[in-house]
Amino acid sequence: MVSLREYAIARIKGRRPAAKTIWPLVGVSFQIEPGETFAIIGRNGAGKTTLLKVIAGIVSPTMGEVVVRGRVAPLLELGAGFEPELTGRENVYLYGSLLGFRNRYLASRLDRIARFAELEDYLDVPLKNYSAGMVARLAFAIATDDMPDILLVDEVLSVGDAKFQEKCRQRIEEFRRRGTSILLVSHDMELVNGLSRRALLLEEGRQVALGPAGEVTRRYLDRSPPRALPES
Amino acid sequence: MEQRPGPPAVYDVEPALWRGPGAAGRYWDLLLNLVGRALKLRYKRSLLGFGWTMLNPLLTMVIFTLVFSRLFSQVENYPLYVIIGLLAYNLFSTGSSQGLASVAEAGALLRKVGVPKAIFPLAAVSANLVNFLLSLIPLFFLMLFLGAPPRAAVAWVPLGVLLLFMFTLGTALVLTTLNVFFRDVRYLYEAGLLAWFYATPVFYPIGIVPEKQRIFIELNPLVPVIETFRAPLYGGVAPSARSVIGALAAATVALSLGIILFKRYERRFIDYI
Repeated sequence: MVSLREYAIARIKGRRPAAKTIWPLVGVSFQIEPGETFAIIGRNGAGKTTLLKVIAGIVSPTMGEVVVRGRVAPLLELGAGFEPELTGRENVYLYGSLLGFRNRYLASRLDRIARFAELEDYLDVPLKNYSAGMVARLAFAIATDDMPDILLVDEVLSVGDAKFQEKCRQRIEEFRRRGTSILLVSHDMELVNGLSRRALLLEEGRQVALGPAGEVTRRYLDRSPPRALPES
Repeated sequence: MEQRPGPPAVYDVEPALWRGPGAAGRYWDLLLNLVGRALKLRYKRSLLGFGWTMLNPLLTMVIFTLVFSRLFSQVENYPLYVIIGLLAYNLFSTGSSQGLASVAEAGALLRKVGVPKAIFPLAAVSANLVNFLLSLIPLFFLMLFLGAPPRAAVAWVPLGVLLLFMFTLGTALVLTTLNVFFRDVRYLYEAGLLAWFYATPVFYPIGIVPEKQRIFIELNPLVPVIETFRAPLYGGVAPSARSVIGALAAATVALSLGIILFKRYERRFIDYI
């Protein structure tokens, strides 16, 4: 369903005279089938999040091509676009339309969103009076209200308390069962192995390994052994 | 596949408003919500709220009338001349400066969600347009009060508003593009706007400009744009062909230039915001 073919991103840093080109992602190429759960692993700064942003259409590749078939729900930076001065209800529309939903559709889903976020009684309260957990719940509820064709998940679910996290996990699991493709970025190798069949290992923006999750995660752990604990 | 709400079924690059009417239609609700947000935030906790849109030029009108009505005694119904000019000028100045700041201000957001970047200047200018249109209602009553009820020439007003909007949006697109790369633009423009205000016959009649300096009026694209809007309301006559042609040219050039420039550089914005 997602096919990425030979694409690269260039990013120019620094000023004109001594311009130095940094390529955060280069030579990355893979394809994902409908309904597949695919993991992207690598150390901090390897380009995992950038890759998700390219797929989400937030960053555009300087070269190469990204083909996405279907509706993408990026669970990165949840709640970007919330306006603290406006009420929860007003933010459902604002954030929902930033994610590409029409107002009429959001109106029909408002109750369901509020129920999932457990915020029925707080919809007319300005967002600035919400707790961080309430904001996160509302964002998750809006972003995942409709089943997407492709779900981008970055460093899974630190949304709300344990009970709500469980609810989020269940919802994602349900999407998975019903055929949503999932791109997962995680440092948790057990989770990666448990969920995905295939994985991609990135290192400094380069594709180092692509294949069965077990092999790729082993490769990752071999290449970057857990750092020794600092001496106390 | 069943029809789903939301972004396009297939895309390969960043979303953009230029992708034809389908793409623009998809972002219509987002535009409405952004305009709604701008208006709600502007009048939050303000007792008079929207009233300020009209009160502000009204107060300025009173001041200008007290100061200048003797000096510009050749201008018939000077208060009306000033307020119509001020309303138009305010739409331009506030719209273009808020549009200018919009992309840089939405920076954090643009790094996180994939929406067409042009929607931010468009929303900023549109919010000011909504305000402006609402202020035409009190203007109507003011015209009655000042003894100059609207005449048939008001039929020209929609054209004047459209050209004013196009010129403002075009200017905003040019400035916001420059501002992404050079943040100085914002401060330069603030100073520039003040100069522009005095170089434009908003509170003084064109007639007082000496022959030698006329050239500045001739070259100022804002002059025909404001005149096209003002003539039907103030004089109750159709705007001169010269104003209409000048305003058409100014609006078209500004908007085309804005779209071309913005389109050309929008993909690089993300590295600078």
